[in-house]
Amino acid sequence: MSRRSDSRSASCHLKWREGFLFGACGIGIIAVIFCSGESLLYAQEQSAAVISHEVKEIFERAGKAVVKIHGLDQHSPICGTGFFIDPTGTLYTAYTVGGEADNFTVEFAGQKYPARQLVADIRSGTAMLKIDAATPVLPIGKSEELEVATPVVAVGFPLDLAQTPNFGMIAGFDHKYLGRYFSTTHLRVNLPTQRGEAGAPLLNMKGEVVGILVSSLENNSSCYAVPIEAAEKIRRDFVRFGEARHGWVGINVTEAPQPVEGSRAEMAQIMDGTPAAYSGIKRGDILLSVGRKKVTQPEDVLDASFFITAGDIVPITVMRGNKKLTFEVQADLHPASKNLPVLPDGTQLPAAAAADGNHAIPLKLDSEAQRTP
Amino acid sequence: MDEFNDNEISKLLRLKRYEQPPPGYFENFLHEFHRRQRDELLRQPLWRICLDRAHEFKFRFPVRSLASYPAAVAAVLVCGAIISLKIYQQPETTQVALQSPPALSTPTSTDAQWTLASPGATRTFRMQPLHRFDASTQTHWATTPPRYVLDSVPVSYEPTFRF
Repeated sequence: MSRRSDSRSASCHLKWREGFLFGACGIGIIAVIFCSGESLLYAQEQSAAVISHEVKEIFERAGKAVVKIHGLDQHSPICGTGFFIDPTGTLYTAYTVGGEADNFTVEFAGQKYPARQLVADIRSGTAMLKIDAATPVLPIGKSEELEVATPVVAVGFPLDLAQTPNFGMIAGFDHKYLGRYFSTTHLRVNLPTQRGEAGAPLLNMKGEVVGILVSSLENNSSCYAVPIEAAEKIRRDFVRFGEARHGWVGINVTEAPQPVEGSRAEMAQIMDGTPAAYSGIKRGDILLSVGRKKVTQPEDVLDASFFITAGDIVPITVMRGNKKLTFEVQADLHPASKNLPVLPDGTQLPAAAAADGNHAIPLKLDSEAQRTP
Repeated sequence: MDEFNDNEISKLLRLKRYEQPPPGYFENFLHEFHRRQRDELLRQPLWRICLDRAHEFKFRFPVRSLASYPAAVAAVLVCGAIISLKIYQQPETTQVALQSPPALSTPTSTDAQWTLASPGATRTFRMQPLHRFDASTQTHWATTPPRYVLDSVPVSYEPTFRF
């Protein structure tokens, strides 16, 4: 009897122990879940606070160099945004703001300054204006360092409202939009924009300018920005020649049926009377690189050639059969360049016509040729 | 007909051959059309717009037939005369009372100054225009609201893979 009662009490004790263990485990699990949820929420709040703090800091720092631009075009007064890039009052803006208007005034530090246009370039979609004042400057960054989902900040003047920060991220690097190819790669940014913010600087999280806002996309929920390198190319040209001088070699490129050395860019046409016609490059050659820019598809040609300056010597590497050949070509002025309306026979050619025709404009350069990297 | 020689005509034709509208022309055509229509209307002087309106009114309503009722015209004239007499014969004291400042108000030379003269705090403003416009620069742009720029398509455009 005593043995039976012992075994019964032992089994009862075991059941109590198991129950206690199960209960403790359950409470533990619930506690862990609760704590992890809390810590997750806390972490989210912390990261949001950090982002907010960083954006605020960039806005406060960069905002001093961002200005509102007023102008007058053939239809009405216009308003846009711009930003200073040197301490003598030179500023970048979008072509749609500073390209085809005049009577510019810039609102800076609570005052209005008259501004003049230095250069406007429709290929890059940018313009440079200048006021006569000592100004703060935004540091120039590198858009090449951007990747998809890199956070960015824009500072602009939406409508008639005060200076406003916008926070978003890089959504893509596009060659074309709605079937239209750009002259150079544009940054697609998931960042809300409003009218009046054309020409606003796109800043990385270090506060450096990596692009210039040029247009919005559907519902103003995102926008396109020109990489700052494109604007800097125009500035370099302006410093050297007093105008934008896009280079031109005279080659039409199409897609090759099969890749050769990793490239599908085939020379479809070498235009008569162009630098390419005298260089030795032939139809059917596969384009491998323009300067230092590697070419793998016909689309790459746009980006590679955008940075050619007229008068510079451009090394062009091609594949002909099994041979890799490099030709050094001195670029002429691009037909779409604005200041080239006169053909050798004296015919005045509108820029739009030149852009469409296969004309190269023979160039008399005052300065010596430079090598395009 | 012989004013142009063949060379000039061929040059002109060459220019025409390459003509093409700028990017975004067709997308913005209707918008531009309406804008220009409005601009054209506003470009006319005010008196001309009024004259046009008056002409339009004249054709819409038979003014001549109305004018044929001399009694009505005379009545209108008499009414007008009576009203104008009443206005000009009002006592001058009323005008003085209207023009004189309130007895307890503070001097108006201070700009945007708070005063405790009346039971409720009132603010007296110096009524002066913020901007002084030059009459010669007053065009119809002055009344046009500014266009805040941000296009829906980038202007950068390359027709083919050419370089």
